[in-house]
Amino acid sequence: MNELFELPTLFTIGDVDITRQIAYFFLAVLVVWAILYFGLRKPKAVPGKFQLVIEELVGFVRDGIAKDIIGPEGSKYVPYLLSIFLFILVGNFFEITPFVNYPITSRMAIPALLAIMTYVIFVFMGFRKNGLSYLTGIVWPKSVPVAMRPLVGIIEFFSTFAIRPLTLAVRLFANLVAGHVMLSLLLVTGFTYLFVEPFEFTFNPLWGVLWFLLGIAIFIFEMVVAFLQAYIFTLLSAVYIESSLHPEH
Amino acid sequence: MLSSQQLLAASEEASGTDLILPATSELIGGLIAFTIVGLIVWRFALPQIQKALDDRQAAIVGKMQDAEQTKQEAEKLRADYQAQIAGAKSEAAKIVEEARHQAETMKADIVARAQDEAAAIADKAKADIDAQRASVISGMRNEVAGLSVDMAQKVVAGTVDRSAQQALVEQYLNELGGVNN
Amino acid sequence: MLEGNIAGPLALIGYGLAAIGPGVGIGILAGNAVQAMARQPEAAGMVRTTMFLGIAFTEALALIGFVLFFIAGG
Repeated sequence: MNELFELPTLFTIGDVDITRQIAYFFLAVLVVWAILYFGLRKPKAVPGKFQLVIEELVGFVRDGIAKDIIGPEGSKYVPYLLSIFLFILVGNFFEITPFVNYPITSRMAIPALLAIMTYVIFVFMGFRKNGLSYLTGIVWPKSVPVAMRPLVGIIEFFSTFAIRPLTLAVRLFANLVAGHVMLSLLLVTGFTYLFVEPFEFTFNPLWGVLWFLLGIAIFIFEMVVAFLQAYIFTLLSAVYIESSLHPEH
Repeated sequence: MLSSQQLLAASEEASGTDLILPATSELIGGLIAFTIVGLIVWRFALPQIQKALDDRQAAIVGKMQDAEQTKQEAEKLRADYQAQIAGAKSEAAKIVEEARHQAETMKADIVARAQDEAAAIADKAKADIDAQRASVISGMRNEVAGLSVDMAQKVVAGTVDRSAQQALVEQYLNELGGVNN
Repeated sequence: MLEGNIAGPLALIGYGLAAIGPGVGIGILAGNAVQAMARQPEAAGMVRTTMFLGIAFTEALALIGFVLFFIAGG
């Protein structure tokens, strides 16, 4: 199973192995740059199709996520939210990009990194905005009856400071790993049935085509997942930031 | 291609924990990559989009101002036209009025002249009639004189009373002379 | 009787069990969210956000199961 995720080391700088994954990280950066650069190189008052798509994406993050969830202060977080959205989106789409076929977000490094950044931001903003009452508000919530407060406080404490970043990272990671494994298995199985006879399976074109069709169906499904997971990650980052800015709700 | 033996071997030699714990090199690589993405978005993409939006707003505002100006010009033009049309109308009315006035004076002239002429013709006719009457009266008087002489001759021839005759003739002659004067 | 043996990590079954609860939970949640959106289409944006938030919390259990599967199953 690890074979699907361990890619060969390309070259080594000092002690750091530059593997294909890391090359893909920078390929993702390149793609993000290319999309933004060619979409917005010469912004026109009357946008072309490509510029319109980019503007639509940016507007989606800025208005649909930042302003909708965080409110007027949300514009401060637009650069961060847009960055993670685009990076995750491109990384997710690597899963179904021909010849790459490897979602960088299925390496724990990327989701973990982004989740830690979101975690740092929302904890930091929570303390900066509300001082120590941010912590006390979580551990000793005023809105529940006194008898329930210790219990709810403990649950809230763990949910805020441990479960949130963990689930944020693992959600993205798990979805992409599952998608990648599923796609690889289906397509490899189909391929095996179709073309590789001397194997444990017997040569059977019908099964091969069937597996392939299923693989294509999952392929389309993964497109939706890729977008949805990028959206959910960004949305939840915004929600977490908002909840530490205004802890009363 | 993977074989199930390879798969099995792989899953035995590497523990699943390796999958879920990120490698240090990848964390560093990811951090650098994401920093670059962040810089691109922050330094390039958002300002460009802001610029595009500003441009669009400026363009729209400019277009609307242009349209407003054009509309005002059209309005002004229309007002001008209306004023011109109103002027033309009043002028036409004036011309018609003048023409009517002129026609009326002309008519009055013509009527007066015709009346004068008619009066002149009537006068002349009356003078003619008078003259004719005078000549007729004088002609008739001569004839009456001749006739009365003839009659008198016949009467004289019939009666013989000389003196009475004489007196009668005298009186007649006197009378005749009175008429002739 | 049935001959043969069942092979594979026990953690797989653990993950399968861990996925049941969140599966049911997300189903109920999404269904109710759809109902809410159908009743008040003007509140759809708010409902959708809250739905994703609820799904995120519900999903946490399945995700913890997923992590444990990797840790224990390796």
